[in-house]
Amino acid sequence: MKDRKDITEYCIEALQRAGLQKSECTLRDTHKDELNLDSGEISLLRTTDNTSLILNGILDDKEGTIAINKIDSQSIDEAALKVLDLADSSEPDKANDIAPAQPPAVFEKGPEAPDLDLMYTRMKDFMQYIGEHYPSLILEQAILDFTNINKHYRNSNGVDLESRRSSYNFSPMFTSKEGTKTSSFNYAAISTAELDRNLHECGTVDTLINQSTEQVRSMEFHGKFDGDIIITPDCLGGFIYMITSYLSDYPMIKGTSIFKDSLGAEIADPQLTLHSRPLSTKLAEGYFITADGFTAENSTIISKGVLKTFLLSLYGAKKTGKSRAVNGGDSYVVDPGEYTFDEMIGSVDKGILLCRFSGGMPSESGDFSGVAKNSYYIEKGEIKYPIKETMISGNIQNVLNNIKRISRERVNFGDAILPWIQVGDTNIFGK
Amino acid sequence: MILTDLGSYTDLFSEYTELRVQENRTLNVSIVNGDVMGNSRSASSGVSARTFSKGLWGFASNPIIDDENIRKVIRAATRNSQFLAGKENRTGYILPSSPGRSSEDFSTKKSRLSQKEIIDFMMEIDGRIDGKCSRVVSRTSVLQLLDMEKSLLTSDGSSAYSMIPRTMLYISLSTEHDGEPVQLFNVYGGLGQFEDLFSTPEVLFGKLDEHYEHLIRKAEGIHPDSGIKECILDADLAGILSHEAIGHTTEADGVRGGSVAGDYMDQQVASPLVSLVDFASEALGKICPIPVFIDDEGTVAEDAVIIDNGILKRFMHNKESSAYFNARATGNARAYRFSDEPIIRMRNTAILPGKSKLEDMIASVDDGYYLMKPSNGEADSTSEFMFGVVQGYEIKKGRLGRAIRDTTISGVAFDMLKTITAVSDDMKWSNAGMCGKKQLIPVGMGGPAVKCRINIGGK
Repeated sequence: MKDRKDITEYCIEALQRAGLQKSECTLRDTHKDELNLDSGEISLLRTTDNTSLILNGILDDKEGTIAINKIDSQSIDEAALKVLDLADSSEPDKANDIAPAQPPAVFEKGPEAPDLDLMYTRMKDFMQYIGEHYPSLILEQAILDFTNINKHYRNSNGVDLESRRSSYNFSPMFTSKEGTKTSSFNYAAISTAELDRNLHECGTVDTLINQSTEQVRSMEFHGKFDGDIIITPDCLGGFIYMITSYLSDYPMIKGTSIFKDSLGAEIADPQLTLHSRPLSTKLAEGYFITADGFTAENSTIISKGVLKTFLLSLYGAKKTGKSRAVNGGDSYVVDPGEYTFDEMIGSVDKGILLCRFSGGMPSESGDFSGVAKNSYYIEKGEIKYPIKETMISGNIQNVLNNIKRISRERVNFGDAILPWIQVGDTNIFGK
Repeated sequence: MILTDLGSYTDLFSEYTELRVQENRTLNVSIVNGDVMGNSRSASSGVSARTFSKGLWGFASNPIIDDENIRKVIRAATRNSQFLAGKENRTGYILPSSPGRSSEDFSTKKSRLSQKEIIDFMMEIDGRIDGKCSRVVSRTSVLQLLDMEKSLLTSDGSSAYSMIPRTMLYISLSTEHDGEPVQLFNVYGGLGQFEDLFSTPEVLFGKLDEHYEHLIRKAEGIHPDSGIKECILDADLAGILSHEAIGHTTEADGVRGGSVAGDYMDQQVASPLVSLVDFASEALGKICPIPVFIDDEGTVAEDAVIIDNGILKRFMHNKESSAYFNARATGNARAYRFSDEPIIRMRNTAILPGKSKLEDMIASVDDGYYLMKPSNGEADSTSEFMFGVVQGYEIKKGRLGRAIRDTTISGVAFDMLKTITAVSDDMKWSNAGMCGKKQLIPVGMGGPAVKCRINIGGK
């Protein structure tokens, strides 16, 4: 078969030949060039090609799915028969369905090929910058990759969607050490369409590295109080994933989501507006096609504190009788607030700057607790010192309702654009 | 079965080279409140090569396993290592060599069940919960099977074939208390294919009844009082402690990256009651949940005794780190997918059993907690750790009291381990988790119960 269009056409034909009444397939070709640094030295150049072909079919409302990484006709024929067997073995569910007809579309984003020499130069410059400015920092690992993904979705309703997207991704992991004093490890992750600036200038890389060198002198915190936390953009992503997990298929279908009856209701302070913008040109990452075969659209999940949409797939929507989300989440963008970061710090009587959160999975009721990592104690409007062995606990609903301030400044990580958020009345306790 | 005869490609090995053919096969069935929400299988296979030139590595992979592509990936990997070697001008290490040959296949000898039979099994479990557990408002059963089949050839003379299967059944039950959802999950399964682990649904019924009873007690339970408390960590928590808090800090790449363990070699880091081992394939006379006989660099795998009677004795190594530290390679280099390079990973990490009885340990606590089941966990280069706890009870005057709601425990491992005053004489293993480093990989973790002082989160 000549190209991805031929392959996906063949897949739908094979599924129909096998006897499936509704069918869909997603073909994804991923090429990655990856430069690795380990223990402060360039260590590995890795080139990988992979194919993922997902075949899905429905027979009498029963569904089966096979994923393979081969695209020859014999492998596809065999996989189609297995889809039939899986569907035939399952139980009927009226919510099983495929996307309705939509206009065909082709999308494209990012450079077609990497500049390997530039990747090498950027990594070497980064190593030199670290050596010159942060001698106590140990780069445990740093990965700079270029990833190109070609995706083609097709189904038996005539949907035919194609995309190519690529980006450079940089993720350093580091610890600082002075004698036997060791900081907590920390890491950064950014995506970018072009390597048009030094790696330490991307996202919050330089800030986190600078903080790491301070954190060899982290101090134990004693006592227990209810105070403010200022969640940094690096840490905020994890909280947004906690919040959005309650809006997705499983908890909504199970009926255990804490937000299941909150559509249209105020679930957060009116300062908070949260979008999912997979099509944003401001983000290097993103996507054009949803997993269930729709052209993705941007959406607003929380508008001025009011919940505007769940994150339900086609199946989840049919199962719950609610509306399907116009995208699959991610690519989160939080609107800027009215305060500068300095004003936010200045307003805190007693609290912490929460730079990383290492916590247990939140419970179905929204309770969470965990350790404040790489974080700082704030008192009387000033950042005092880095802390260690300090825990926080709270409830996701309370976090949303207790938002006091949102910063004007935001950080573009390439896969999200996030501000600092100040939350009051959080339980903070040390030894 | 994947291609196992790779010998004809040795003429293409111009540098130190590893050539691996691998297939990962999965089956996933998930049932939510009687509806089949997931019903899928996957197979992902391919060939990869990794080469070492003047201290630098090159890696390449391709999903097509034929003569042309095998030759291509060897050449591409060699080109990559030479690209870096040409730029870096390094002499590099001489990699140690401990070659071996092995062939280990843990496939079931029983006839395989069809998808229909597996779904019927799951539906019977679901029906049993629906019929017997009246206060359950939502139930989820997820079956995940993973077969990892690998064939490896290295230029220093190792050849290995392995088929290591893992079968896991995750069951999550939710109830409501005062209008608030309360959930408790449990995991069943281990090393082996489905047919060897689950003969009939009835074998799980007793455990499901216990699971339900713990859920109801949890729903009526309390949030723990936060702060440093005397606790008994049951085997599952001791296992995650071994893995997260000690294991990760003693992986040699982590030590080179600044882990505090690098400063503690041959020092007392734990109570003398504590010995901790990363087992290769067999522990205390039994096969481990994730047996590794020859690792993915071709090194014959051996047990790594990390802590011996409280003294830190060694780290876990791949070939390169063993050369750097001038230590013996332990066979800890593992790769998850065919397209992944081997990196230092744990295999089966456990605190060794002691001499105390669990009931005596509980009886010795005046005011504390008995913590039974973890959720997730994370560790740090400082050895500070955090685990989620989803099942536990308060201990008052030596007796178990009310159940506790979900919480988190944390501490600094090399401080906390010194507070251990008792280790139980039993031992449990789990391989339910996937360890995330650069890649995911299944790991085994285990241990007895330990009595210690630890920071517990409240509300």
